[in-house]
Amino acid sequence: MDFRWDILVEYAPFFLKGTILTIGLSIASILIGTILGLLVGLGKIMKNKLLAWPFTIYITFFRGTPLLVQILLIHFAVVPLFLDKTNPILAAILTLSLNAAAYIAEIFRAGIQSIDRGQMEAARSLGLNHVQAMRFIILPQAFKRMIPPLGNEFIVLIKESSLAALIAAPELMYWGRAMQGQYFRVWEPYIAAAVIYLVLTLSLSFLLNLLERRLATE
Amino acid sequence: MKQLKLVSTVLMVALLLVLSACGTSKSTSGTKTTGGDAEKKTLRVVTDAAYAPFEYQDKGEVVGFDIDFINAVAKEAGYKINVEHVGWDPIFVELDKKIADIGISSITINDERKQSYDFSVPYFLSTNKILVPKDSDIKSAADLKNNKTIAVQNATTGQEAVEGLLGKNSDKIKKFENNNLAILELKGGGADAVVADNTVIEEYVKNNPKDNFVVIEDSAAFAKEFYGLMFPKDSKIKADFDKAVKAVIDNGTYAEVYKKWFKVEPDTQILKDQQ
Repeated sequence: MDFRWDILVEYAPFFLKGTILTIGLSIASILIGTILGLLVGLGKIMKNKLLAWPFTIYITFFRGTPLLVQILLIHFAVVPLFLDKTNPILAAILTLSLNAAAYIAEIFRAGIQSIDRGQMEAARSLGLNHVQAMRFIILPQAFKRMIPPLGNEFIVLIKESSLAALIAAPELMYWGRAMQGQYFRVWEPYIAAAVIYLVLTLSLSFLLNLLERRLATE
Repeated sequence: MKQLKLVSTVLMVALLLVLSACGTSKSTSGTKTTGGDAEKKTLRVVTDAAYAPFEYQDKGEVVGFDIDFINAVAKEAGYKINVEHVGWDPIFVELDKKIADIGISSITINDERKQSYDFSVPYFLSTNKILVPKDSDIKSAADLKNNKTIAVQNATTGQEAVEGLLGKNSDKIKKFENNNLAILELKGGGADAVVADNTVIEEYVKNNPKDNFVVIEDSAAFAKEFYGLMFPKDSKIKADFDKAVKAVIDNGTYAEVYKKWFKVEPDTQILKDQQ
């Protein structure tokens, strides 16, 4: 097999541009997805079944349909409905965060429900109200347990951002596809993209490990 | 120090993976040879069935002008064929690796592709044209340069034509998996124009009058193109199919198929001039 370094060099600036957008898409989606996920997760554990119902529907839909379907639907149908024109970057962030929020909501729910009931009772008996107990006692403890599954979700999100190439958001995979299309070669563009994705996910898990160690109490 | 060790281990593993992958591809590529003893076996014809009316899927079946044409040609040449929808880019990969025997998918014959593949004699004349909304201020190819966003199918001559105007990998060019997605983008307002082979966008306009799209021709900016059957380099069956393509054009079968799909008489003289 011959490996053409010259075309890799030629496409290096585009891969760089694509990587920056991939990082941007991922960070934006992780932030929005986490906040949205927290709200949806809290919504789903509400005692009032009627109020919790829309959140359950939300999770069912976004967890139960393929991301590819969601991204095409949002890009070609939902965004033009509101903006009057398509916007691939917006559509990608929207889809990734809405999708991630469904999973993150379940991670939050699992984390919160894993904290022993006695913690809430003790907090309440010390005079904290429900919201305060949640904010100062339950969530900080739950958050520590959520880091590993959250890390999983974030890594999945970085990888799935590659689907944005289909709606021509010029991220990493888009340039990989463009390069493949120009030279009709498979190894160079896809190995390059794979290595860059690997670097991104490795760096993220390194950061998460660091965070986990910082928060360790024992 | 510990970190350095970790990093070097990771790099080593990645390198090993790449190397082992290279190794296997080398050892298998030598054993797969098709085309030599093709007399008896069924030929694998690959296409990208997302380009109506040339090739598209009708209730799961690949149909279109190209499909009827290749069937007629294969019959003339005395081969059995099996047409399979694989997508656009994979056509080139499969022919390069000699996994497939023929590609037919409105593939334009050009010098760049001729370096890596063999082509039959031309069987269709086509030009790139511009698809725009009726009220667009784009009137010619030159207008595309006025800060317009153009949607194309990745790795087509339409993309090449636009890159010729706007520069390679310009930010103003959006490359899609197939032509339908590019047109959807135009419909959604994310692009100002689509550049693609005339027959396909003319067919789209004909079938979707409600979209209010028009087709703009600019023969000065976009040159005439010819489609050909694509074969792996040094294919043994090319000569047989060249003869068959000529025969099908001469004996009127071509005109029959052409009329069935495009409702007009073909200009076969221009094809014969190219042979």
